[in-house]
Amino acid sequence: MDLSTVKERAGPRQFGPTDDMPREYREAATRMIQFHANSEIMGAYIERPFVRQAPSLDRKLAVSAQVQDEIGHGQLLYRAAENLGIKTREEMLDELAAGEGKFLNCFHYPLGNWYELPMIMFFVDGAAMRRQATLKRTSWEPYAHAIDKICFEEGFHIKHGEDILRELATGSRRDQELLQRAFEKWWPRILQFFGPTDDQSTHDDFSQEVGLKTMSNDDLRNAFLNAYLPKAEKYGLEPPEYPRVEYHEDRDHYEVYEEDLDWDEFFTVARNELPTGRGQIDKRRRSQDAVAWVREAIETTPASGDTPAAAD
Amino acid sequence: MIFEVFRQETESDYHEHVGNVHAPDEEMARLFAQVMHARRKPANSLWVVPKEEISEVDADDPGVAMGGTTQKAYRWATNYSTGRMAEEIEASEAEQVEAEARRRSTRSEGGDD
Ligand SMILES: [Fe+2]
Ligand SMILES: [Fe+2]
Repeated sequence: MDLSTVKERAGPRQFGPTDDMPREYREAATRMIQFHANSEIMGAYIERPFVRQAPSLDRKLAVSAQVQDEIGHGQLLYRAAENLGIKTREEMLDELAAGEGKFLNCFHYPLGNWYELPMIMFFVDGAAMRRQATLKRTSWEPYAHAIDKICFEEGFHIKHGEDILRELATGSRRDQELLQRAFEKWWPRILQFFGPTDDQSTHDDFSQEVGLKTMSNDDLRNAFLNAYLPKAEKYGLEPPEYPRVEYHEDRDHYEVYEEDLDWDEFFTVARNELPTGRGQIDKRRRSQDAVAWVREAIETTPASGDTPAAAD
Repeated sequence: MIFEVFRQETESDYHEHVGNVHAPDEEMARLFAQVMHARRKPANSLWVVPKEEISEVDADDPGVAMGGTTQKAYRWATNYSTGRMAEEIEASEAEQVEAEARRRSTRSEGGDD
């Protein structure tokens, strides 16, 4: 299929492994899904310490279920990406371990304490869900397929995140203060989740033309702020004065003041050069190395002649 | 030989099991599958799979735990009352509610016989 046919036919779940897709499409889809898969994995690593640090058994069970889900999401997505024939799953995992794999900005910052956890679980996962919901209509069918399962599970993450937020926001004065502090620390990073507002990214236009993306980052950010700023308010969280976010009622639009955000840091993060981000990548690599023997044992098992299922 | 047949209605649907056909070989199986399962009903694609090639895990097999039969309320969106949520979160929760209803009804059907 040539590129103009792809653009013409582009629509929800339009293309799959049986279609002969041009290289440009397959590369763009790989870049997008690999980024998403990496982010699921790195998100799990951000939350993982709280399986141990959870204040109650219920929280511990729920956090570990979430971490388990995220790893599963990563696996689903690597499979969807692998179908494109550009990179194998092993190559993508190796790139992540080598610090060459890109992933969401927020997962380059480890969480300092329990009060920061809902910043990820509620706001960051909430932002991710905003984007994921639109990907049910992506043109690469295996991607949409994976998204179905991800969206099914993800509602629990965000609600659990909000439940923690509510518990802390209605807790002691000290709880409320620490929560506000966590919010102020994370808010600028959350605002940067969808990238710069005047995004001149060339990837973006192409992805929309071929139906991989169905909504611009600007619109996604706006929809996110629309749904989540009222939630912050509801729990008594006050956005810091800077970065300024101004609501324009006439256009139902949130204006984010670009100049108030630290874009040097954002692009340092994007290059995988932020020291804390490197720390997260190393943590992930060490885990991968630690279980190398399991993968080797599985892969070197001699294939037996009969399939066990046929035996009975 | 028995071949199981999975039909995909349109390009964007999942393949769903629709039944099986009896055939001497794969070629005939594909033909029978079309006749049986894609003649009257719209179909975009059929998967035709030799039955013995399918690995199965049965819920009753020893050591198998599937489908949320253990108490894991903490694992579902419905466990947390947080008021109105963004529409995509409500959609996710609605899917979970539906899955739970289906789980309940299969369990009670099982209890009847
Ligand atoms: Fe996820
Ligand atoms: Fe999540």
